[in-house]
Amino acid sequence: MSNPVTIIMIEDDEGHARLIERNIRRSGVNNEIVPFTNGTAAVDYLFGQDGTGANRKGQALLILLDLNLPDTSGIDILKRVKENKYLKATPVVVLTTTDDSQEIKRCYELGCNVYITKPVNYESFANAIRQLGLFFSVIQVPPAAP
Amino acid sequence: MEPAGRLRLISPGGFIRIARGSLHSTLPMTPATTTSDARRRRALGQIVLLSAGFLVLVAISVASVLLVNKARKDNALVVHTVEVESQISNLLLEIRRAESATRAYLLTTEPQYLTEYQSAAANILPALDHLARLSADNPVQTANTARLKDAVHRRLADFARSIDGAGITDIAARVDVLRASSSTEAVQAIADISRAMRVEEDRLFGMRTANADQTQILASSVTIAGSSMVIALAGLAIFLVRRSSRIRDEAETQLRDINVTLETTVDERTADLREANEEIQRFAYIVSHDLRSPLVNIMGFTSELEELRGDIFRRISSLSRTASLAPALPEDATDSAEPVLEGPDKQLSDDFNESLAFIKSSIDKMDRLIGAILNLTREGRREFKPERINIRELIDNIAKTVAHQAVEAEARFEIGSLPNLVSDRLALEQIFSNLIDNALKYLKDGVPGEIAITGRTKLGFAIYEISDNGRGIDPKDHQRIFDLFRRAGTQDKPGQGIGLAHVRALVRRLGGTMSVASELHNGSTFTITLPINWTGKSRDKES
Repeated sequence: MSNPVTIIMIEDDEGHARLIERNIRRSGVNNEIVPFTNGTAAVDYLFGQDGTGANRKGQALLILLDLNLPDTSGIDILKRVKENKYLKATPVVVLTTTDDSQEIKRCYELGCNVYITKPVNYESFANAIRQLGLFFSVIQVPPAAP
Repeated sequence: MEPAGRLRLISPGGFIRIARGSLHSTLPMTPATTTSDARRRRALGQIVLLSAGFLVLVAISVASVLLVNKARKDNALVVHTVEVESQISNLLLEIRRAESATRAYLLTTEPQYLTEYQSAAANILPALDHLARLSADNPVQTANTARLKDAVHRRLADFARSIDGAGITDIAARVDVLRASSSTEAVQAIADISRAMRVEEDRLFGMRTANADQTQILASSVTIAGSSMVIALAGLAIFLVRRSSRIRDEAETQLRDINVTLETTVDERTADLREANEEIQRFAYIVSHDLRSPLVNIMGFTSELEELRGDIFRRISSLSRTASLAPALPEDATDSAEPVLEGPDKQLSDDFNESLAFIKSSIDKMDRLIGAILNLTREGRREFKPERINIRELIDNIAKTVAHQAVEAEARFEIGSLPNLVSDRLALEQIFSNLIDNALKYLKDGVPGEIAITGRTKLGFAIYEISDNGRGIDPKDHQRIFDLFRRAGTQDKPGQGIGLAHVRALVRRLGGTMSVASELHNGSTFTITLPINWTGKSRDKES
């Protein structure tokens, strides 16, 4: 990959963030991970000060998104990303504790690419993340639209 | 995450509002009891009043009839007295006629006077008899009449003698006869007696007239008194009727007001309850959600610790081997196999394993409980769709799915006639399959199971009974089994203590009730009552 993909991890629980990072690394993915523990900082990073997302133009990003954030709803971030002309092609992986079918359905409707439930069973969790790593290595992350 | 911030969403306000509201419901009862007492007294008063009026009317009628009869009798007596007097006059007149005719005949000997005498004389005796008959009721007058009769007879004899003397040709001699025949004594007697009789009759007349007057006065006063009493009673009755109708109008207005406020109160409380219920649901959902998040960490890092444990003990084992200078095993074996440990090291490793195992099993259990709460709240949020359901078919399908367990437990189903319903299909499936599962699960060991499902309808409700011959439930546990995460009896079967809590919540949402009848070792019967035509409005959640 000429343009290395940056993984944007929006996860307020530091423990979860650490576990996700560890498992991604274990699966052999060594891309840069930019962590955010709240929605506002993530939105600022993604869309810039002007809120247009123009400064992310041309960057290859992958977003790991938790739905339960303290300051904003992950759903709103997902919506904004998918509505933004520069970011809409960015793959979004939703990671959350909810296994509510309604919520999963809503995420897919809004354009989320993968939905992963964080199971309490650690084996499944680690498996899911490792498979995600596998998925990262297979998919061609397009650069954000020019 | 900010669990404290979310926890603030649930406030006890809802419950306090309900408790405060319910205090009012007892207030309108107190005046209601006192007014009913007063109403009974009023009704009694009206009955007494009516009976009094009726009695007065009867008394007046009876008195009037009696008095009228008495007046008629009195009047008849007065008329009788007058009759007697006129008869006396009549008699005296006839006697005078006979006397003057006799005299005229003696003087003139004209036959026309003889005829007149004869007609007068013929009238005298019948008139006398008539008088005797009329005065027969009065002993004084009877005696007088007897004496009068005597005198009249003597006088008639005088007349007869005078008429006989008419044959004498000499006029002077006839005048003598006339003189001789007119006995002054008899004439005097007749005059005296008739006067006495007149006096007597006058006395009677006066007395009887006074009597009749008195009776009439009495009758009219009775009538006047009675009428005024009736009028007074009628006035009282009108007053009472007016008063009671005014009270009734007031009560009606009050009732209408109370009804209106009651409706508002019911609406308010229903809204409060709904709000409280929704708050509880949100609370349960958020809590279970937020609890899961740290649990993922606990489990995750416990697993990380487990990995570390492997590394640590492998290193300990290799270190101890290096120390004892005995490289017994090849290097590559340590990676896959458990490190060989000895003595205190092995003890340490076992303790470590035990602790980790407890932590993990507790996390599993907690996760299951949280999952159960989540499922329950999710069920509570699901929208029910009423549709017509063939219950027999539904039960048959459930029986088919549990056929395998039934064969294992040697259980037999007996399905009676079951009324059909309009309700939510999924909810009913969950209700019946939970109860049938329970019946199969808690049979007595070594006793072939018999599970009966029967139904009947009553007043717009369908009643279903699921009974078994299983191990039964101690009556002290009948409430407990419906509580979330609570179970009863021997804990030899897997389960979370969720089934019955869930079933009861569903039955309630479908507008029904459920109960259990059971004793230890004697089987159980679960009774479910559901509305036949459920419209989708449950008691705690209206559309």
